[in-house]
Amino acid sequence: MRIADAAAAAGLVTPLPGGRREVALLLEGIRCAACTWLIETWLARQPGVREASVNFATRRACVRFAEHETDLATILRAIGVIGYRAHPYDRQRRETLVRRESLALLRRMALALLGMMQVMMFAAPAYLSGDGVDAASRSLMNWASLIITVPVVFYSATPFLAGAWRDIRRLHRPGMDVPIALGIVAAFAASAWSTIRGAGPLYFDSVTMFVALVLAARWLELRLREKAGDVLEANTPDMPATAERLAGYPQAPVSTTVAAHDLAPGDIVRIAAGATVPADGEVVEGRSSVEEALLTGESWPLTKAAHDRLMAGSVNRESPLVMRVSRTGAATTLGAIGRLVEQAAAERPRIARLADRAASLFVAVLLAIAAIAALAWWRIEPDRALAIAVAILVVSCPCALSLATPAAMASAAGALARRGVLFVRADAMEALSRVTHVVLDKTGTLTTGRVRLLDVESVAGVDRDRCLSLAAALEQGSTHPIARALVASTTNACTAGQVVALQGFGVEGTIDGERYRLGCVAWVAALRGEEAAEARGDAGQIVVALGDTRRQLAILRFGDRLRDSAPRFVAALRDAGLQVAILSGDRAANVASAATAVGVADWRADATPEDKRSFVAALQRRGGVVAMIGDGINDAPSLARADVSIAQGEAAAFTQWNADVIVVGDDLGAAAFALAAARRTFRLIRQNLGWALVYNLLAIPLAATGHLSPLLAAAGMSASSLIVVANAWRLSRLAPSRPPARAPFSIAPTPAP
Amino acid sequence: MLVPLSVVLVFAIGACFWWATAHGQFDDLEGPAHRVVADDDAH
Repeated sequence: MRIADAAAAAGLVTPLPGGRREVALLLEGIRCAACTWLIETWLARQPGVREASVNFATRRACVRFAEHETDLATILRAIGVIGYRAHPYDRQRRETLVRRESLALLRRMALALLGMMQVMMFAAPAYLSGDGVDAASRSLMNWASLIITVPVVFYSATPFLAGAWRDIRRLHRPGMDVPIALGIVAAFAASAWSTIRGAGPLYFDSVTMFVALVLAARWLELRLREKAGDVLEANTPDMPATAERLAGYPQAPVSTTVAAHDLAPGDIVRIAAGATVPADGEVVEGRSSVEEALLTGESWPLTKAAHDRLMAGSVNRESPLVMRVSRTGAATTLGAIGRLVEQAAAERPRIARLADRAASLFVAVLLAIAAIAALAWWRIEPDRALAIAVAILVVSCPCALSLATPAAMASAAGALARRGVLFVRADAMEALSRVTHVVLDKTGTLTTGRVRLLDVESVAGVDRDRCLSLAAALEQGSTHPIARALVASTTNACTAGQVVALQGFGVEGTIDGERYRLGCVAWVAALRGEEAAEARGDAGQIVVALGDTRRQLAILRFGDRLRDSAPRFVAALRDAGLQVAILSGDRAANVASAATAVGVADWRADATPEDKRSFVAALQRRGGVVAMIGDGINDAPSLARADVSIAQGEAAAFTQWNADVIVVGDDLGAAAFALAAARRTFRLIRQNLGWALVYNLLAIPLAATGHLSPLLAAAGMSASSLIVVANAWRLSRLAPSRPPARAPFSIAPTPAP
Repeated sequence: MLVPLSVVLVFAIGACFWWATAHGQFDDLEGPAHRVVADDDAH
């Protein structure tokens, strides 16, 4: 119960409507895709558990249960009963767990490989010269093989033996470990008996080789899986760890630094300039601009004053704010988003579920075939019955069948996450691989959705570059998006003194003894004692004037711009044989110019969200599989209607509730890459499944008719498993053509010598 | 004679590997490869 209480305190158990709860658990002991299936089935059978899903890559289980029928401690015990261990989820623990598991596997594998080499050497003389070896030295070599094989079977192969035991005892259903363990034990027992008796068949070489190869395959698989898991983890948004709580506000505020998860609704918190908001709530004091880009896709910092809503995860840009907390931890908008992404990652795609079911049926059929073959051969040729039964058990590879999908998906997801593409729905990749039509939104998708300097119009005959460097000098210290756009667009800014910023108007400062103002046209005109009308730009543009005490120097326009990658993106889609259309709520002139610039003939302007939805529906009626790429909010109905929806944006995408795929960052190429990668992944999954099927269909009859020795069978099985994993691994090298924004691996700091 | 010797050798090598894993030689198989190219401004 202590664990359960701690979990509740840390906000790991989330209350859901209808008396249900949800908890995230970290599982220990997951080895193979079959394990996740096993845990899901087992948990679903527990009373009170409504839903359980396990993510193979991050080892995270998401369990929903009814509050009054069961509790967390019972669920943890239930998982323990089938031989896995569960902990309340946290990232740190996941890392140590991964390290420990991979180390144990490495040791088992190394011992098995070593044993394999040595046993092979002992077996070689018998293979090469047959009866040429005298009986005494042969017996010596057999005993030596036995001694080496014992630790291989009883240490290296324990995961299989334990797994098989668990499957039989707890679930009365043969899992993937059963044929493997049966094969190992039968072959080992027979060989040991022959050694002691001094005559009979020997399979030490097959046993060690089999164990070594299967372990090697699992180790490789574990490493691939971890890589995929790491990238998924690194892309989930983060909450600040600490907050500054004000006790006794407003009479005598005393500030203390507390952990963010210790905050409670009603607490008063101070947020310094530049700090991240630690919880959802309301401003009680102060006035500042707050950037909520991460949460809402709104790149514009919003001015927040008393009574305005604040969201956890947004960044306070200008001056300190005091807020009253209303929701904390997992209850905040950011927390909800994080859970959404995790949940999706825990879902299993339809195709993987199908393969898993097929695999477990396969095991049952396989055991039956092995038993029948053994009986049949017992009548024909008793000496070979055991060898053939072992060969059948060993050669068949249900693992290849059930590995085919998760291995390919995990490595593709890893490669894609490195380019900022995250899959929110498990089936999205499959749908994406079948897409025929791509519908694009203009604002925020083809364009950047972010403020940039569009042009500088010099009015008084002063050089354009000079105007720009004057303006940049005035804005040097500011974090306002206009300021950042200005500073980014020039390299030779001069320095300004006595800079004063007036919120809502602009900045004023002295450069080379001259006073300058940058901001609203009227306010700039006021410096020279004139009055001027506000200038208006095109839709979505911001116009700012630069002036000194005598005249107006320049007009600067800021606004959205077509993404650099847009034309290439559209061309890439076209090359892939996809139909491209642009749908926008913007005015016809703007949409037409953007459409021409990227080379799309099919476009609609002035579209309402409902128009967009029916446009997508019309395409679908004509048999198209539609991918919709938008920035979310006002595209919601069409995103939901499309077969796959892709949200592109500045990490904003995390709030795009309706999106199936999230593309973080500026590069539209990533979305094209995702489309191409999904196609390749599914081609590869089909390849893998086909290969696993053909292999098993060929190998089992061969083994049953006595054409395969257990040694060959062991090699075949491991090779088929490895081919599937290696084939999938090619996907993780899907060429991230640009260096990753965030390194997918962590380079530990070098210790000082 | 060589046969028992080789058995002993196998276990000796196994023990060495065990020692190496226990002392963190295999904890990070990827970092060192990248560390060579990482700029280290501290020196």
